[in-house]
Amino acid sequence: MSRFAEPMTRLIDELKKLPGIGSKSAQRLAFHILRSTDADAEALADAVRDVKAKLRLCSVCNNITDVDPCIYCSSTTRNQRLVCVVEEPTNIAAIEKTRHFHGAYHVLHGSISPLRGVGPEELRISNLLRRVESGQVDEIILATNPTVDGEATAVYLSGQLKRPGLKVTRIAMGIPVGSDIEYADEITMLKAMEGRREL
Amino acid sequence: MPLKESEAIILRTYPLREADLLVTFFTRLEGKVRGVARSAKKSKRRFGGALEPLTYVRAYYEDREGQELTRLDSCDVIESPLANEVSYPRAVALGHVAELLGELLPEREANDAVFRLTLSVLATLSGANVWMPVTYFELWLTRLTGFLPELSECIVCGEALNGSRAFFHALADGLMCPEDKRLASAEMSSDSRSLAAQMFRAPVESFSSTTWAKARASDLRKFLVQTLERHIEKKLVTAAMLEKISS
Ligand SMILES: [Zn+2]
Ligand SMILES: [Zn+2]
Repeated sequence: MSRFAEPMTRLIDELKKLPGIGSKSAQRLAFHILRSTDADAEALADAVRDVKAKLRLCSVCNNITDVDPCIYCSSTTRNQRLVCVVEEPTNIAAIEKTRHFHGAYHVLHGSISPLRGVGPEELRISNLLRRVESGQVDEIILATNPTVDGEATAVYLSGQLKRPGLKVTRIAMGIPVGSDIEYADEITMLKAMEGRREL
Repeated sequence: MPLKESEAIILRTYPLREADLLVTFFTRLEGKVRGVARSAKKSKRRFGGALEPLTYVRAYYEDREGQELTRLDSCDVIESPLANEVSYPRAVALGHVAELLGELLPEREANDAVFRLTLSVLATLSGANVWMPVTYFELWLTRLTGFLPELSECIVCGEALNGSRAFFHALADGLMCPEDKRLASAEMSSDSRSLAAQMFRAPVESFSSTTWAKARASDLRKFLVQTLERHIEKKLVTAAMLEKISS
């Protein structure tokens, strides 16, 4: 038998599903929401609903966006013939921080990971291959994480993408090996971009 | 408690809470150990690439009173799998080694023979040609963990199989002669059986001069994987992925 009224138990159970939230934190958050104003609670509920209703994947690059194509793909000031491939949408922010990259992106939503049973067929690359196939790209920069999985993904992609006239480069290991692009500092990110190499 | 120091091979990491990693590592000192690397996910300063699967490290860790998980203090890289190109077949083969060790090694039980086997196989697993090292590792690991049946005689009648055909089956604990084989058995070639015998007599380096096609000893690998899967009572994720590699 739960110690809380049913709507409260439901909210706690939903919050517990969030990463890093245990029973204690879920209860604390639930009581905070209960005590907040109706307007605040509504705003939270709306924000949660909107994030699912209004966001989707960009049909060109798989970035998470509310407009299709996304702001990077529809930008006329960015070089659309230069495409940077990243594992996660959050990696884009890390690269944007350098303010030195003015190309477009492609988001894989993951990497090859044999231990988790993820092979190349699970990578979202069909739209990238289409972009390359139709001659819209001069250079692909592979900016997957400098981990075993990220490297395996980059090496695999370089094999798939290789064609005459297309340059395929890999960011340099300016980033500490084994880390995550999300946590790289700006200068490391900038160095990695400058030192990219061809595969 | 005092800080322990041991050579170790990182097997696998899992995210734990916001910034920590749960790390399974195979120490020379006391076998497989599970521990927490604090802040490893966020701050890469202490661990860098040292926690990538199959990195050979010197690990410093500290057991805590009444706690199942050790605290992994730091790791110095001795040899990183990232030193060589990570082709897809190599990534899967490395994953296979990590998965097998993770599944088969008991916790806190030193096994120097398996440790040395792993180091020598990792050294030959530097290129895209993975079939020889994978076969050697599976064969020796099956033997060293005590799961390898006698390959020279039929498990049903006990007759010697030398010179005769031999068969295996997912539910049988060894090889069978043509009279005793079960329905839907697969055959293990005499080539593969003699290769296994050679592998028991020589170090892995002595086989690395020749390039193996995937087909070579694939019957032996299938038999070994079936044997191991029967003992751990689950399917090996990486065995299925190796199977799907085209060459
Ligand atoms: Zn886009
Ligand atoms: Zn028999």
